[in-house]
Order: sequence, then C-alpha cells, then structure tokens
Amino acid sequence: MSGDPILHHAVAQYLYHEAELLDARRWEEWDSLFTDDGMYWVPLQHGQSDPLNHASIFYEDAIMRDVRRRRLDQDRAWSQQPITRAARIVGNVQIQEQTDTGLKVRSTFQMTEWRKGREQRQLAGHYTHDLVGAAPGEWRIALKRVDLINCDGIQDCYEIFL
Amino acid sequence: MEADKLAELVKPDKVHKSVYTDPSIFDMEMERIFGQAWVYVGHASQIPNPGDYWTTLIGREPVIMVRDRGGEIRVLYNRCPHKGAKLVADGCGHVGPLFRCPYHAWTFTLDGHIRGVPFRQGYNDTAFSLEDPQFSMRPVARVAERRGFVFCSLAEAGPTLEEYLGGALASIDNFADRAPEGEVEVAGGVMRVMQRSNWKIFFENLNDTGHPQATHESSFAAARRTVREKLDGNTPFQLHIIEGNGEPNSFWESLELRCYDYGHSYMDAIFNAPTDAISLEYRAQLEAAYGKERAYDILSMNRHNTIVYPSCSPHTGFQQLRVIRPISIDRTLVEIFTFRLKGTSEAFFQRTISYTNIVNSPSSTVMVDDVEVYQRCQEGMASDGGEWISQHRMAGHDTPFEGGILGAGISEVPMRNQFRAWARYMGETEA
Repeated sequence: MSGDPILHHAVAQYLYHEAELLDARRWEEWDSLFTDDGMYWVPLQHGQSDPLNHASIFYEDAIMRDVRRRRLDQDRAWSQQPITRAARIVGNVQIQEQTDTGLKVRSTFQMTEWRKGREQRQLAGHYTHDLVGAAPGEWRIALKRVDLINCDGIQDCYEIFL
Repeated sequence: MEADKLAELVKPDKVHKSVYTDPSIFDMEMERIFGQAWVYVGHASQIPNPGDYWTTLIGREPVIMVRDRGGEIRVLYNRCPHKGAKLVADGCGHVGPLFRCPYHAWTFTLDGHIRGVPFRQGYNDTAFSLEDPQFSMRPVARVAERRGFVFCSLAEAGPTLEEYLGGALASIDNFADRAPEGEVEVAGGVMRVMQRSNWKIFFENLNDTGHPQATHESSFAAARRTVREKLDGNTPFQLHIIEGNGEPNSFWESLELRCYDYGHSYMDAIFNAPTDAISLEYRAQLEAAYGKERAYDILSMNRHNTIVYPSCSPHTGFQQLRVIRPISIDRTLVEIFTFRLKGTSEAFFQRTISYTNIVNSPSSTVMVDDVEVYQRCQEGMASDGGEWISQHRMAGHDTPFEGGILGAGISEVPMRNQFRAWARYMGETEA
C-alpha cells in the first residue's frame, strides 16, 4: 500500500501543508480540513482507546475547535500576550490502511513552542490521521489523533492545536 | 522567624507579599501547616484490593496509601528504614503480599511491619531487631476516611477529621450522596498541571467571584461568538460551562460565600441543574434510590468549588476533585480526579468527562487564563512596586455565624478566612 510513491508523496505533502497552516496560526483554514463531524483528539492515557469514558488532553468537535480558535485571536486572551509561536516537523509518514474511501496515516512529529518571557517547550509524539476521500484533492480529516510521548506526565498548559 | 514577625504579615484586610515569595516561609508552611492539618491523600476506590497502592505527597513527605491484608487502608512513609530508598515507584500499582525494597530486599507486610532481611546472621549481636519500630516502615500519625475520601495528619494531636472539616464536611458527604448507590469511585484518568505560582494563589482564586468576568473574557466571548455565528443562538451544554464566567455583576453579587474554621469555604453553584434527558434520567434514579424528598435535598445542596484547606477542592455537581500539592514557593502541582457516581448511566459519566476536558484539562480554554494570571501575580509580587496584597473587598462587612463567617457574593472573605487559618497554623507551633 505504502509502496505507491505518488500516493505517499501526496500524503506527505498533505501533512506538511496541515503543519504549515498550524505554524502560521491559520486556524480557520486548518479547521476547514476536517469533515463536519471530524474530531481532534489528544489522549491523556498512553494507548487510550476510548475518548468518551476517559479524560483527554483535547477531545474537540467542530464547536469546541471553533471556540478555541476564536479565543486564540481575542484581544484579551491574557495567555496569548504575546502569542505562542510554533514550528512543527513531520516525518516517518506511513500509510497504515487504504480503502476505497480513505486512508489511515501515521507520522512522527516534533514541535517547538515558544512565548516571549516563557521557557521554550519541546513536544514530540505521533500523529494518526483518518483521511476520507477517494483522491488526494478530496481528502478531509475525520480524526486527527495526537499521541504525545508524555501524555500522562505533568503538563504545562496547552493553548494552540498540536 | 519569630511568631510576632509572622503575625505582622497577615492583617485583617491585606497580607504581606513575602508569604508568596519568601522560600523560608514556604519551608515553615510545610512544617506548620502541612505537618499538622488533615491533608487529602486519595480515594479508597483507587486501591480496591490488598496490596494495591497509590503514592502522593503530604507537604514534602512522600507517602504510600495501601490496602493491607485485612482490607484496612494504611498511609506509610515511602521510605525503607534501611538506606532510605523509596520502596515503591511514584504512581499507582500493586505490590503483592509484601513490600520489598529494590535495594537490599528488606521486606515489609502491607501494614508496614518489617518481615525479613537477607543475611540475617549479619545482624546477630547488633542493635537491629524485627520488634523495634525504627526498622519498620513508619506510618503517618493519623489516618481518617470519609465516604472513601482518605485524609491523613502528620501530627499526633489535633481535631478529628470531622471537627476539622466543619461545614466543608457536608460537601464531602454530598459528593457521595449524589450517587444513587451512595458511593463514588475514581474513574477516567488523572490530569496533572504544573502552575508556576504559589499554592495559596490557587486557593484564593477558587472562591474569587471578582475574577471570572475579567480573567475569562477571552473564552466566554469566543464561546458567545461561536453560539451566535455557528449555532443560531443555541448554547449546547459544553458552552454553557464556558459562558457562565461571563455573567454580569448582579449575578456574582447574589451568590453566598460561606467560610469555616481551618480555612474552608464554598461558593454557591453557578450553574442551575440542567433539564436535558440525561439529567432527568439521573434525577429519576436518585429519587428511586432515596425517595423524592431526600433526592430533592441532595440536589439542592448545589455548591460550586468547596475549599478544603490546604489540600483539595471538590466540585460536587460535576464530580471533580482538584488536589493541590505545593512543590516550592513558586511551583504548585494540581492533580485533577474525576469520579463516577455509582448507579448512574454511561451517558451521565461521559458528560462528567466532558466537563473534565473543558474545565480541568491542561488544554482548557478557561484554565489557561487563570494559570497565566497566577504566574503574573507571582512575578509581580516579587517586585519592589509594593509590599502588600489587598483583600479589602467587603472587608468589615462579613457576618459571623456559629462555626463560620458568611460573606456576600463578591466578598474576599474566603481569602481572609484562609489567612486567618494560615496565621493560626503558623503561629501555633512557634508558641
């Protein structure tokens, strides 16, 4: 499946584009990548299988993502004075499943976050994207799962989408 | 520091900034407050079977809450009496029938008594003895449990847990009474958030009705825009939680703040009981279990954050317990536990989880602004721009009642009440 270099290239480009939208704080464009009922999920537990009966660091539908992105751009978002800057690197892109209607893609990410006056933070983990759509131009995100390596550790606050 | 100098730091309507910034005062707090008060350890449901354990910190003391062979809950210092190694790794787990030190394999029964040491012949004709308590794991001075909530005190003498909790006891009872089966259990994971600020700042914020409109504007304004622009003005459950902080002055003024000895207090709930299908089903379950009248009484005790000073804050309506662990003068670890009410539906618990995610997750759009202002306080307090921290709001206008003080909705009386307890703890041992 992952042997198709053209498909693999398209998937990697898709993930790079998504990361670039987040780096650039283009929240609305990023959010429009999701299906109407698409979910953004950052588990709290390593290997967590259930987002409904167990707490999560993020488990956000379109409504909650909409509130978050609007908050990040509010003048009186005190914890965004100044704003968080971030740079993401996505690699080890692997197509795990392929069907007529979509793909499951796993990748590894490194993300550096910084706010002036605060310590720089290094985050790392794995992304899993459930993409629906028959061809690259039609892909939408049904689920973006972010498994942080320190998901069950002591955390500083998270503000921006990972 | 001399007792009279400490007393100078706390005035009826203000406190000196050094209580938040002076590491030597933090050291004294660990001894005099956390070394005396009843401090929350954990919940019995975290250790259902003999040999199950949960570790935590009581002040600076690492302790193990463990269920022994007879089913009794023990709280022991996490320290081997041989070389001092911590006997179990931090977190939760199961030790089996005995504690076994990873260093030299000394073993202890689950109540902490020494069971055996290797190379036994090496101890012949020495002062070592299996009967001498100094070679067993040390238990904390006092352990008490209320509805599964386990507290301990490192001091031999002092009030009982019930005397100590006073009016906050009803919040603990109500937490469990809200379950149709009368019992709760920890479920759904633990969140841990590090705040870069003094522990007292967090406690002061929990009943501070003056802050939500200012601090949380970014989240409630964003939620309002989402409701207006995406939801045709219909506010779903999860956004009600966020929008509540945007209530006008008159709302906050109408609340009641009740304070008790030892620093405890609570504020009235800020959300009315919902009337959706899940809530109505729950109410029916509660009425079936207790009868209509008692069920009504249980749900009518509608408290927002209760402060159980100096270690935890239950939120009974949404089954949350925040546990506060001071790490240093400017670092505070907050652990958030979610509870399942036994006898309720899966849908009911999923809504509890949803509340946890929105309000208490490290990603909460509400909490981030709290944590930001706590840190700004910590940094600003350290400056030479002033000496005192104001607690003047409604000072002198509070009403004493038997066992406590009643404050109007916008009063800073919970903070003044916390420092009344603080001064008492800090002064007592000195005398």
